[in-house]
Amino acid sequence: MLTLLLSPSLGVVMLLFGGGLALGIVQALGYLPGAGLGRLSLMHFTAVLTDPDFLQSFFLTLYIAGVSTAIAAGISILAALGLVSLSERSRVIHFIFQIPLTVPHLVIAIAVAFLLAPAGLLSRVAVGLGWIQSAADFPLLINDTWGMGIILTYIWKEIPFITLMLLAVLRQTGRDLLDVGRTLKANAWQRFRYITLPIIFPALGAASLIVFAYTFGAFEVPFLLGRTYPMTLPVWAYKQYSDIDLMARPEGIATGIVIALVVMLAVVLAQILTKTARKRGLVL
Amino acid sequence: MKMRRLGHGRVFLTAGITFLLMLAIASAAADDRGWEDILAEARGQTVDWFMWGGSPAVNGYVNGYVAENLKKRYDITLRQAPVKDIAEVVSKLVIEKQAGKARDGHVDLMWINGENFRTCKRNGLLFGPFADRLPNQKYVNWEQPSVYNDFGEPVDGLESPWGSAQMVMIYDTARLSEPPRSVGALLDWIRAHPGRFAYPAPPDFTGSVFIRHIFYHVAGDVAHWQTSVDPAAFDRAASDTYRVLRELAPALWRKGETYPESPVRLNTLFADGEVDFSFSYHQAEASRNIIDGLFPETVRTYVFEEGTIANTHFVAIPFNAADTAGAMVVANFLLSPEAQLEKADPDVWGDFPAIDPRRLPAEWQKRFSARPRGPATLSDAELQSHQLPEPPSELLIKLEKGWERHVLKGR
Repeated sequence: MLTLLLSPSLGVVMLLFGGGLALGIVQALGYLPGAGLGRLSLMHFTAVLTDPDFLQSFFLTLYIAGVSTAIAAGISILAALGLVSLSERSRVIHFIFQIPLTVPHLVIAIAVAFLLAPAGLLSRVAVGLGWIQSAADFPLLINDTWGMGIILTYIWKEIPFITLMLLAVLRQTGRDLLDVGRTLKANAWQRFRYITLPIIFPALGAASLIVFAYTFGAFEVPFLLGRTYPMTLPVWAYKQYSDIDLMARPEGIATGIVIALVVMLAVVLAQILTKTARKRGLVL
Repeated sequence: MKMRRLGHGRVFLTAGITFLLMLAIASAAADDRGWEDILAEARGQTVDWFMWGGSPAVNGYVNGYVAENLKKRYDITLRQAPVKDIAEVVSKLVIEKQAGKARDGHVDLMWINGENFRTCKRNGLLFGPFADRLPNQKYVNWEQPSVYNDFGEPVDGLESPWGSAQMVMIYDTARLSEPPRSVGALLDWIRAHPGRFAYPAPPDFTGSVFIRHIFYHVAGDVAHWQTSVDPAAFDRAASDTYRVLRELAPALWRKGETYPESPVRLNTLFADGEVDFSFSYHQAEASRNIIDGLFPETVRTYVFEEGTIANTHFVAIPFNAADTAGAMVVANFLLSPEAQLEKADPDVWGDFPAIDPRRLPAEWQKRFSARPRGPATLSDAELQSHQLPEPPSELLIKLEKGWERHVLKGR
């Protein structure tokens, strides 16, 4: 019965997503009958993984995704805790937090570029207010080594997302458990660590994984706000795929599949870690 | 009796002279009749024109002005078939040629140039030569290497010009009264003003044309690279180019640690005052940006003394086209002064003429020089007398790859 109900959407997902993925994997494995390559081989994957730039791109992407997720998650926990009582009384707060969800990442990236460019809006305001002498003194925040602009864009977009997911959980569970904690003389930190955190952890973990997966595989923000070189894995995949040399295309697909594998690995690792923690009696 | 003999003689003489005269007229009219035949054959035909469909301005011009006039004047129905990349059509033609499909092809006309033209020509995929049979080709300046060669490949009448692009340098007269007028002077200027110049990262086409200028500057002779190229000589010239660009990097914007990703970004940097130059393949882009309020009124363009790279884009007819007569009439109409003038109107499309206005009748010359061109656009004479041809596409690709490896990654 359940299968029957799920089959239409499952069918669409399997056909479009699964079909596309399968076709991509086949091409990445070297099967291009139009160009006379009829055998499967791992040469494209090897080419990608043994490229001298691969490790650098991989770690750059990992750094950007990891830092964005960590900072967004941290701020979201504080925001959610702070907003629990506020959002019950006011619809406005809730609405304000939903606005960033509707704005595409690309638009935010462009906005960040306008705001934080050396000749951008904030720089001109700072010069006008006399904080800095000229645009050249404004710190480098976009197209910079540490990906500050990229991380800021992701944080701005992902905090509302994670916060709203945590809020949904926190509001349901109510205050009773916290009051019990107070009667048992637990201090604020202990209440958070042993009551609130276990409650929000599943939602926090799921939301963080989604954010990590998305930021690891996203292309448009690092393309606009990152450096030309080294580039993140998705930007590299795009450049290979759109290369004038048609033989570089399977390498672009192979890079995309490597990205997907890394994300899947992250999910699996997260599951393993959570299970091990529970087994060891860590209350999470 | 004398009179009768004279009468016979006169008849023969008159008949003979008339016959010779008719022969003379007939032979003189043979060329025009060829075109008349083509016009007659083209009546009522439907021409399927496969072209890149990504520009609303282009589509509007083709489906509006061009299609209407073709119908009115020649009773030809023009059907635009927009494609994402003409290379797809070329691939299909390769397959059709291999399959022996020599007639009734579904493509009558293609908008094409560069690498795609080279593929078509090398594989015998084109009808023609036909371009020299078009009456309006007399307005084209076939002496220019940027016209008779398509990215280094001789056109040989296998494609007919449609429009032209040329790289122009953009600067702000309010910041810089006298810009460096040659590539060498520009390089000196960059070194004297660190951080005030940037170029988009190849393989972006605008960034790529900048490194081609450096290549020509370093290699010296431009014409040499149009014909068959000695790989060793090219490698030497290319290495020198990369060395110059690598050594230039610390004087560029952001010390060359990053490059703008597109010409749009470069224009933004220029407008924001982060860099003092921009450049573009579109001769009228600076004027367009002034009109749109993106650039200040004081912005102007210029070309190098030694010339800037220009290329022509063309239309070609596939070998198995079903309506070759109609296609030729379309190609001829596209070259007509009225169609070229309409195309050059910035409110329509703004693509520069492929014809040389100096070859037009005086009245048309006046209309071409009087056309709205905006405050920053150079005259046709200035542009067309400072043109360099594109290098062959294989050299272009090697330069782009080499830049990525030797300049960007420093290997």
